[in-house]
Amino acid sequence: MKMRGRLLTVVVVLALGSALVAGCAQGKRGASDGTSAKPYRIGAVLSLTGTYAGLGTPEQNAIKLEAARINAAGGINGRLIEVFYEDDGTDPAKAVAAAARLIEQEDVLAIIGATGTGQTMAIRSEIARAGVPQVSMAGGSVVTDDFDPLVFQTPWPNRIVVPFTLKALKARGLTKIALISDTSGYGTDGHDIIVKEAAAAGIEVVAEQTLNPGDTDMTAQLTKIKGAAPDAILMWNAGKEAAIVAKNMQQLGMKTPLVGSPGNGRKEFIEGAGAAAEGFRFAAGKVLVPAAYGTDSEPYKVANDFITRYTKAYGTPPDIFAGHAYDAFLVVVDALGRVEGDVTPGSLRDAIEKTSGLVGIGGTFSYSATDHNGLTMEELVLYRVADKTWVLDQ
Amino acid sequence: MNSAELLQFVASGLQNGAVYALVALGFTLVYASTGIINFAQGEFFMLGGMLAVAGVRAGLPLPFAALASVVLTASIGLLFERVALRPRRDSGPTVLIIITIGGSMVMKSLARHAFGPNELSLPPFSPGVPIVFAGASIDRQVLWIWGLTIVAVVALTFLYSKTKLGRAMRACSLSHDAARLMGIDTARVVMISFGLAAALGALGGVAVAPLTQTAFDVGSRAGLKGFAAAILGGLGNPIAAVVGGLVLGLLESLSVAFISSTYKDAISLVVLLAVLFLRPQGLLGKSRREKV
Amino acid sequence: MARFLTPRILGRALPVVACGVLFLVPMLTDDRYLFKVLTFVGLNVIVIAGLALLFGFAGQISLGHAAFVGIGAYTCGYLTAARGVPWIVAVIAGTVLAGVGGFLLAIPSLRLKGHYLAMATLGFNEIMSVLFVELRPVTGGNDGLRGIPFASIGAWKIDTPAGNYLLVWGVAVVVLLLTANIIRTRPGRAMRALHGSELGALASGVDTGRLKTEVFALSAGIAGLAGALYASSVGFISPSTFSLEFSVLLIAMVVIGGAGSLAGPVAACALLTLLPYADALIPGLSKELIALIQDWEADISGFVMILVLLFAPGGLAALGRRLGGTSARGAGGVQ
Repeated sequence: MKMRGRLLTVVVVLALGSALVAGCAQGKRGASDGTSAKPYRIGAVLSLTGTYAGLGTPEQNAIKLEAARINAAGGINGRLIEVFYEDDGTDPAKAVAAAARLIEQEDVLAIIGATGTGQTMAIRSEIARAGVPQVSMAGGSVVTDDFDPLVFQTPWPNRIVVPFTLKALKARGLTKIALISDTSGYGTDGHDIIVKEAAAAGIEVVAEQTLNPGDTDMTAQLTKIKGAAPDAILMWNAGKEAAIVAKNMQQLGMKTPLVGSPGNGRKEFIEGAGAAAEGFRFAAGKVLVPAAYGTDSEPYKVANDFITRYTKAYGTPPDIFAGHAYDAFLVVVDALGRVEGDVTPGSLRDAIEKTSGLVGIGGTFSYSATDHNGLTMEELVLYRVADKTWVLDQ
Repeated sequence: MNSAELLQFVASGLQNGAVYALVALGFTLVYASTGIINFAQGEFFMLGGMLAVAGVRAGLPLPFAALASVVLTASIGLLFERVALRPRRDSGPTVLIIITIGGSMVMKSLARHAFGPNELSLPPFSPGVPIVFAGASIDRQVLWIWGLTIVAVVALTFLYSKTKLGRAMRACSLSHDAARLMGIDTARVVMISFGLAAALGALGGVAVAPLTQTAFDVGSRAGLKGFAAAILGGLGNPIAAVVGGLVLGLLESLSVAFISSTYKDAISLVVLLAVLFLRPQGLLGKSRREKV
Repeated sequence: MARFLTPRILGRALPVVACGVLFLVPMLTDDRYLFKVLTFVGLNVIVIAGLALLFGFAGQISLGHAAFVGIGAYTCGYLTAARGVPWIVAVIAGTVLAGVGGFLLAIPSLRLKGHYLAMATLGFNEIMSVLFVELRPVTGGNDGLRGIPFASIGAWKIDTPAGNYLLVWGVAVVVLLLTANIIRTRPGRAMRALHGSELGALASGVDTGRLKTEVFALSAGIAGLAGALYASSVGFISPSTFSLEFSVLLIAMVVIGGAGSLAGPVAACALLTLLPYADALIPGLSKELIALIQDWEADISGFVMILVLLFAPGGLAALGRRLGGTSARGAGGVQ
């Protein structure tokens, strides 16, 4: 039968193709061994397309900027740094393939990434098999709560931000809160921790509503919340829906204070919500208003220098995601400089774990054998939107 | 729950519903003249919003930017039909549908290259405080959305029933061959319906952007909701598309009111499937013989 | 020589050669990345085989096959990771559950035609996506399900990329042979009759309702099987993988390959799956070029879809026939 013949032709072509490639790949791998002066090879798995493209793009910008700066200054230990970028398309399966490629074909010493929590978790088995350290820019608590000796994290996880935010609410006498979170990993994680920590912080959750990424109107959820008469509304999400929540509240004439998450520290939120953004509060690291560090402090200089250079290179100031990527790259580079003897994935991992007092954008990082996030509540401040910009909410 | 709250839920449902209806109208128009589902319809919605933002950024006054965006998107619709679909007009629906899927991938990705991955804002058409009606407050932009939906339906009904082009479109929806025998330029009719569908999608995108912002990836969801609305109402007639859109919007907001915000999309889809299984031709669709 | 290579002889010899070469690859290389990528191709090929049967031959559209892949993946993942069920049992459970899901969806959907069937299956996919996120005790929600063990039969553990590659392609070859066999025999003829005209099929004594349900359940089960293998070879699953987008891409692969053909869809599947991994097949591509391809992947895929269908509306299968100069015998089912 013809059909079967054709089917098999296709299979044969595929098979021959892969065999051919296999041979070539072999040849290529053999040739890639160089001298000791070859650059350090670092991989980065980023979401440059798909849902998280808006996060992955500034992350790549920040890493490119820093890699160029360090190489222009002569590199680390006299060796340059070469970064290999992989796009995971916001897809966990593609992230796995990307990590496999970086490990197998590029022989990287460490992987920075991924952008999202799902992609970060997905590449764990690849990481574990190769023994390569991973520094994630995803904020999900699960990244470091579900402890893996190889995995480090730079953003402030909800585990730290939620108690800080609840404390700030309590301090302002806002003890009855309504919760609105999105159904993404970030929102669900925040929701669970808020519900768990509320009682201990002296806060009562009087209403819980969710929204789906992509929803375009939240007046229904807010009408439910309005009925529960909370002191404040706590919103946990990172997408463009945040601006809609703020605007819908204004539309419904709700004067209840709206408090958000670090994911809302984006200029797109202020642009989108317009006047409704005024008075919006959220907790985040001090980078948004570096003066919070004190203008003569080391963190202030680091942050200010990065903000100036990033703005000059890309025409727009860095957002918090660019900051997380800066930190992830910094953590790896700093550790590279401290490795004694041969730099291998294993020795690099050990050096990363010994990171101590490293001043980055998101805070001062000190990792230990039990803490791979390295940040504390001390790094956070509460912001308020006033006159279309962020100010410290004292 | 008091009546003001209930009214607020209904208003919210009708707001989303009107947007779904505008997208659904586009699906229906193309379906009526070609018998295919245009999977790029959601991308016209996205392009409408994005191009309007681009216009405003380039210094055009908002009304001109909005109009230019609708016209430009309509031209993209016409061009897409002419270049990518017409050469394969006789190939049967599945091939054409997959071509529209390819088109939607290209449009979405090109929009990301052109406008970046972040969400963009468009100023409201008529700024001001919300209108309060019997305890429910309604954003002024929502009145624009409702108004534009009504205008679109009236215009389409007029087009269908009173104009030569409309009669030609209806003839095409019954049978292309018969229409051709009657001397109708079916190719032209199909191209115009694509242009109109793109314009309707863009109109929805422009009208909703001031409320929700817009981004390169808003098209998939808009297309999904619009398709669901068109099917729920019954493919092929504008009134059914609007009814489908409003019912879908109401289902979602009433799910939030009475059941759960987490499951609102799932609930509305379950209802949609139930309707389909009981009434396979949609709420208002006439049961007619399958077109071959 | 030319006389010697008749299609008949080729038809006999090719399967042996093909399998031989496919299964020789692990001896030629140890590039784990290449194995990963080819494993993805194999997994998609399995789904495509079932979908080609359903859509390409029986003419029934499904925009919900990603959900069946998901059902298989979550069943297998949950049973092996959380319940310690033997791998082979979990794979069978995933396959059966997806098949039963397909069966149950098919019963009411039988009344629906064309675009309404598309909507019903699409709605099913969306509902399952919500459930994959919300049924957290089983699925792990958005954080996904981790620590899914590799395939193992008794004490024998298939834990290398090469092993997984062989496993997946072994299953793929079996599924392809099975599908090809169904197409060649009586049910296949009945399906083609159904695709051509349901009335005609009814008149010639085909129980169309039963046939449609069976084909739907079978292709859903095959998708579930691919899902189960996906879970154990990747070790991690999360809801976004089984989205509507994937379902749409699967249907696109079948149409680009050519309805009424098995070889065409398999080729289209390989083409579209490999596109972002061009560097796995063509070594020595520059870093910049790879980044560029990844950045423009969606545009390229979209353009390829449009161009193939513009110049070969019968898909790759028709293109192959034209290039091969053979008569279009298998084209009967092409609409």
